[in-house]
Amino acid sequence: MSGADDVRRVIAAASRVARDASIVPALVASTGLSRQGVELALARHVETSATEEDIASLVAYAGTTKHVHVILSANVFVAAVRAIAIAIIASDRVTVKPSSREPVFAKALVDTLADDRITIGDDSGASEIHVYGRDETIAEVRAAARGVRVRGHGAGMGIAIIGGDLEAAARALAEDVIPFDQRGCLSPRVAYVRGDVEAFGRALFAALETRGREVPRGTLDEAEEAARWCSTIAYAGTLHRGDTCAVGVADVRAIPPASRHVLVRPFPPSLGDDARWVVAVGSDMSPDESRTIAPPHARVLPLGMMQRPPLDGPVDRR
Amino acid sequence: MSKQAESEALHLRARAFVAAFERDDEMPEAFDTLAKDIADFQARNITGYARLRAARKEDIPAVPTDAFKVTRVSVFAEAETPFVFRTSGTTVGARGSHWFRTCETYDLGAVAFGRDVLGVADRTEVLVVGPTPLEQPDSSLVHMIGTFVDTLATAATVEDTYFISDGVLDVVALDDRVARLLMSSAKNTIVLGTSLAFALLLEAFGEAKFRMPEGTRVMQTGGFKGRTLEFDAAKLRRDLARAFCIEESAIISEYGMTELSSQFWETSPNIYAEPPWARVVPVDPETLAPVKYGDVGVARIEDLLNVDSAVAIVTADRVRRVKEGFELLGREAGAPPRGCSIATEEMLGPS
Repeated sequence: MSGADDVRRVIAAASRVARDASIVPALVASTGLSRQGVELALARHVETSATEEDIASLVAYAGTTKHVHVILSANVFVAAVRAIAIAIIASDRVTVKPSSREPVFAKALVDTLADDRITIGDDSGASEIHVYGRDETIAEVRAAARGVRVRGHGAGMGIAIIGGDLEAAARALAEDVIPFDQRGCLSPRVAYVRGDVEAFGRALFAALETRGREVPRGTLDEAEEAARWCSTIAYAGTLHRGDTCAVGVADVRAIPPASRHVLVRPFPPSLGDDARWVVAVGSDMSPDESRTIAPPHARVLPLGMMQRPPLDGPVDRR
Repeated sequence: MSKQAESEALHLRARAFVAAFERDDEMPEAFDTLAKDIADFQARNITGYARLRAARKEDIPAVPTDAFKVTRVSVFAEAETPFVFRTSGTTVGARGSHWFRTCETYDLGAVAFGRDVLGVADRTEVLVVGPTPLEQPDSSLVHMIGTFVDTLATAATVEDTYFISDGVLDVVALDDRVARLLMSSAKNTIVLGTSLAFALLLEAFGEAKFRMPEGTRVMQTGGFKGRTLEFDAAKLRRDLARAFCIEESAIISEYGMTELSSQFWETSPNIYAEPPWARVVPVDPETLAPVKYGDVGVARIEDLLNVDSAVAIVTADRVRRVKEGFELLGREAGAPPRGCSIATEEMLGPS
């Protein structure tokens, strides 16, 4: 079976899992997302299609090896699809270690695939380890790997660059912030705005509040950090704070916590050392202009599509 | 009244607290009265503080220490604040800055409370395991230690007082100085240094012991941001006591931070006392409301000497009120964040 066929089988299995409503309660419990948050993720953010070109790119990225062990992170649970697709292209033996906090989706996907080559298991005998998660976790895996190749995909964040219609951009950006309660490495945390930053801050807050009523925020793990960030922004600029989100407008390097907090700064960005954390840039500017601003390793995606990158390789290209 | 005159008047009222403490007298006015007047002054002259007041609907909202990293927290413009202390930075972390129009109030408070806790009546021998203030003018710790030297130490030379230069510990010079003190039967020597400097010294000593004159006391301070105190401070204390051949009780920790003008001193392990011009209130980390007596909260610190910056700050350090003062519990690591979204602290360094 070719790598492309394997990808199509993974996509088909992911589609079946995503349509299975019985999985929702377990995912609510394991992810900390609201029911609507889980439903949104299943409906819009599971890879259920890919172009031939994307699949070819994915196959080219994956390489070949004897046994891939995949270690998944919690919460951005749909990441299991891409991770398993890459692994099965690379190897006829794939073991998957789901996150201990969110094992539900990955297990369901492996069960639905019903492929002897892909099992939930440990890394014994692995020739390559693909690890997704915090940088500390990756470092620990590397330290323990003893000569086994480790492909690490660490923590990161998204930024947005905005130069067009502010109301439309605010609505689109809200669509990028809401999924997974902003806990993905693609999730935008800072928006750089060409134009009236205060007006954009108000528009984004309104859009997040509106969308937040439809898709409530789940568990707020970062409550303390959020309180500190909000006080800092209230001091340094303008803070719009609601029950499920906060938007700060200030030209300061105060990266907000996840869970629907966004900092709005004037365009252009001067990312400096922070560029290394940027996995994705959402933009309503022209591709050429966007590319000149984005760090070379970052994905450039249209606003509103930051959480739906093409299935053409790992989401994190660093 | 001009801003400058108003500031000076508030400084004088704050210094009156220090003077009363030194006389062992009653405080000249209620803490809350002066705190409110300073907060009013700061809100009138710092737009950010006025905004924070409005956002939090409080008379004296606490400024998060992060604010010192990202914006200017000062009543006065840069040209009017010749002194600046900066927080230590990491490779990626932003450094916080605390500007001062005058350090006089800071110095008076530091010396008065430090002298009392260290029990220094007259000038005594002071050794500094650290650099001179000239070498690190933007370190509040180094400034405080320098102020102690200026006011508490005998007239020893700089070379006989400071034993770290350009990051290098001069063990030979320290050894020579201690030997002379031992021969002269000096007593009540005080050794001042940062935790980091003492760690450097212990590394230089290895397993060797370094007998200090009788009655020596050691002040260790700083250096535990982002870590739990239990492990680092306790180990350092044990190792220092062993190396200097002194009792652990002769090692006194100081808790302070760049964003403050006042310091707190340890009276028993992890228990710290406040001077009458500052107080530590454990607050709920999410609501910032005071917690019940005995419960753990993050430290909201009200400092009457912070006249020109922030009369109240809030930190991420965990504290608990106890009879003798407050217990310092350090930072709580907490559960790792879910997902692959990067944690703010990972990018900016600990606050």
